Amino acid sequence: MAGLELLSDQGYRLDGRKAVELRKIQARMGVFAQADGSAYIEQGNTKALAVVYGPHEIRGSRSKALHDRAVVNCQYSMATFSTGERKRRPHGDRKSSEMTLHLKQTFEAAILTQLYPRSQIDIYVQILQADGGNYCACVNAATLAIMDAGIPMRDYVCACSTGFIEDTPLVDLCYVEEAAGGPQLALALLPKSEQIALLEMNSRLHEDHLEKVLDAASKACRDVYAVLDRVVRDHVQEVCTLLGE
Amino acid sequence: MAVEVRLPAARKRGSEVLLPETNRHLVAPGDTITTDTGFMRGHGTYMEDEKLLASVAGTVERVNKLICVRALKTRYNGEVGDIVVGRITEVQQRRWKVETNSRLDSVLLLSSVNLPGGELRRRSVEDELAMRDYLQEGDLISAEVQAVFSDGALSLHTRSLKYGKLGQGVLVQVSPSLVKRRKTHFHNLPCGASIILGNNGFIWIFPTPEQREEEAGGFIMNLEPVSLPDREVISRLRNCLLALSTHKMMLYDTSILYCYEASLPHQIKDLLKSEVMEEIVMETRQRLVEQEG
Amino acid sequence: MREPPLSNCEKSFLLKAIREGKRLDGRETYDYRNIKISFGTDYGCCIVELGRTRVLGQVSCELVPPKVNRPTEGIIFFNLELSPMASPAFELGRQSELLIKLNRLLERCLRNSKCIDTESLCVVAGEKVWQVRVDLHLLNHEGNIIDAASIAAIVALSHFRRHDVSIQGDEVTVYTPEEREPVPLSIHHMPICVSFAFFQQGTYLLVDPSDREERVLDGMLVIAMNKHREICTIQSSGGIMLLKEQVLRCSKIAGVKVTEITELIQKALENDKKIRKEGGKCGFVESMPQQWITAFKVEKAPVDVTDVEEKAEGILSRAEPPAEAVSKPVLWATGTAQIGEGLESSWRDMEEEEGQVEDEDDEGAIDDPTLAVTQNIEMEDISGKEEKKSDVDVVVLSDSEEEEVIILEPEESRIHTRSKHPADSSATKTTAGKKKRKKKFAL
Repeated sequence: MAGLELLSDQGYRLDGRKAVELRKIQARMGVFAQADGSAYIEQGNTKALAVVYGPHEIRGSRSKALHDRAVVNCQYSMATFSTGERKRRPHGDRKSSEMTLHLKQTFEAAILTQLYPRSQIDIYVQILQADGGNYCACVNAATLAIMDAGIPMRDYVCACSTGFIEDTPLVDLCYVEEAAGGPQLALALLPKSEQIALLEMNSRLHEDHLEKVLDAASKACRDVYAVLDRVVRDHVQEVCTLLGE
Repeated sequence: MAVEVRLPAARKRGSEVLLPETNRHLVAPGDTITTDTGFMRGHGTYMEDEKLLASVAGTVERVNKLICVRALKTRYNGEVGDIVVGRITEVQQRRWKVETNSRLDSVLLLSSVNLPGGELRRRSVEDELAMRDYLQEGDLISAEVQAVFSDGALSLHTRSLKYGKLGQGVLVQVSPSLVKRRKTHFHNLPCGASIILGNNGFIWIFPTPEQREEEAGGFIMNLEPVSLPDREVISRLRNCLLALSTHKMMLYDTSILYCYEASLPHQIKDLLKSEVMEEIVMETRQRLVEQEG
Repeated sequence: MREPPLSNCEKSFLLKAIREGKRLDGRETYDYRNIKISFGTDYGCCIVELGRTRVLGQVSCELVPPKVNRPTEGIIFFNLELSPMASPAFELGRQSELLIKLNRLLERCLRNSKCIDTESLCVVAGEKVWQVRVDLHLLNHEGNIIDAASIAAIVALSHFRRHDVSIQGDEVTVYTPEEREPVPLSIHHMPICVSFAFFQQGTYLLVDPSDREERVLDGMLVIAMNKHREICTIQSSGGIMLLKEQVLRCSKIAGVKVTEITELIQKALENDKKIRKEGGKCGFVESMPQQWITAFKVEKAPVDVTDVEEKAEGILSRAEPPAEAVSKPVLWATGTAQIGEGLESSWRDMEEEEGQVEDEDDEGAIDDPTLAVTQNIEMEDISGKEEKKSDVDVVVLSDSEEEEVIILEPEESRIHTRSKHPADSSATKTTAGKKKRKKKFAL
């Protein structure tokens, strides 16, 4: 696109951030009273809402029950009003099924499912406003929701997207930067042990740059972790105070 | 017809109003609790590389050598002797499956219920076939936890006259962590209604039965119409319970009673407004503190 | 129909072999299976065989109006079908998770990496563009569908020729292959997917997992690269946690593999071009070999014979002397004779054997396949042991309506491996209440 510089000479991006800066993250836990766990997160203009039910008895077919672990059931959906153009998204379409599979895979690795045999944990994520980094916002919101529900996890799961323009990794891409078509990497990380729960990359990136981009993405995930940690601790502090005993 | 509209307002944080107590050790998943290997690990923790790590967000509780992390909000974890209120989800061969807000549905065996008429005999095939006449899908029961199966499912029993199928009343669902474990969970409140505080977070409010009927094992429901003053009392109690649970106060007979009394100046439907809720909860808190002090 | 689950002993065998660095088909950790590419008579049709996994790719194109927001670009459409022909586990019509995963991976690998120049597919901007459709069908599933499918897709696209088009002012003429030579698509680069399978939470790594290995893996990492060492797609799946170093190592390995495979593809394409130019016969019929068994030849399996002699000596010294052979035939009647005596009939002992566990003692025998080892294993049932556990349908008179759920523990059967002495054997055979079972292994 002519005239649209994703990275200016002084190192500023379209929204004025530097290459390694994240967007402003605001999150809230326990937004719904009737769900076991819920969370709402805003990363810049991307807004995601996650709701967790469980662990509970498997509904529907008993044959899906695993005898030694819990089944993690995810669903990802984007609201029709979430993008610039109102687009009706049927539930079974390929992109949301793919996102659903990725979420499921991420959380099956992070949740200690061995503690709940023959149960089911449902994670529903909805994107209310999509401005880039949809998957990452979903992962962050779902992490908070799972913590709100009191389901044991190995560690936080923090996700961040990274791009690569003019030899510089750009962290936490917005929609315009994503649509420009350069390489994009989405990384879901467990910050304490630096283990990668999910790694997804699109578009061409030379192998030599891979390490640089991975490093930048890991650092960004750790920054996200710092923000989420503060949110969780505040919430725990407040609820403990209210409970009073 | 009046319609209420309110604009969004910033939430007041509870910790600004109350004094935060800093003597509790709060952890988040992945935090190291201790590297000392002398401790036994309890719920909410896991071992990795010789370190004891937390797996839920909550407070650390230490009893001698046992360290566990109690999460703020969990599904109900049953223990023997708890009173629960549950709903029948399935009628199976010689047992009912009861939904009790725990991670697996609880089990109510046919042998654990009282037969109508109070007979004491071996359950026969006719009893099995007549199971659906006693309890159907969707019925509410109050029961006590008899045992816990190895996979965590609870085994319930209703072998007492105070348990059994529940008749007319109102069910309120709150988080199980808000219900305090007390000696008795059946209360006849002086305001004119009775309440069953299930440990699993299901609370049942019903009109006080007039006389102690020696009924047939709790299966016959009293379906006579309830008078209007009784209904009002029950509705007010329900709204008070919702207010208390929104503000995360522990639920027991004293707190419910104080809240009821604090709510008397307001109309029942006003109790659902957030300002009124805050007011009465504040008053309840004060009275409780005074009472303890 | 549901795939039968892999048995536990097979699983543990595979994992144990992987721990020792061995694979079932004899490959090394980073080895690919044999890749065979064959072309059909039409342009754009090919079959790729990766070991026994077979994928058929077909490219077709037609003129359509372009997408509204991209008026000057052509449309490329990928579709992978998993038919029950490939494996009975695939059901027709149901879109399973695997199908979605593979399709999305292919789309991202081939479309987002812009390997095809879509601008060159434009005929009249805003009105007519070429829509290229790549259909891939899995014909046989023996593991690693994604690699085979990506190779098939890129080969089919490289092989494909579209109709030539000429524009004079407002008139667009599409020439048939008879009028003008069809034109190949302009392909910038060839992205190839390389799959890595992880076992034991990422400790062990295998390239190109076969069907069995796929069923015991913990997680998979797919890296799509082209020969210029540009990474087109990375996708991690399964529930494993990776470390950065592992990902970097995999990308290096992928680079090497992709170069090899690209060379192979180029060679195959050139071969086919040559054959067509010379007018030789081309097509699937030619490329399928006649599979007649004219001679049966088994390749020599490499055997470790370093310390055969010592092992043989040891086994011989430990083994007991062989049993006496009964050689004289006994004639019962005309046409009926008997040589030797069979074992005692054990049919009547069936009811008393519920709790018996047989064990096989394999030590020392597997290392030397060339040596025939006879081993006798004997098991004895100690008569003092309670063999009867309460049966399942006993009537228990209790208040509980529950059927007694009885958990049968495997009995602690004492297994004796004794050397058999002929004198003892005859004596113990006649003792009542004792059973014996003999097993002979010839390896």
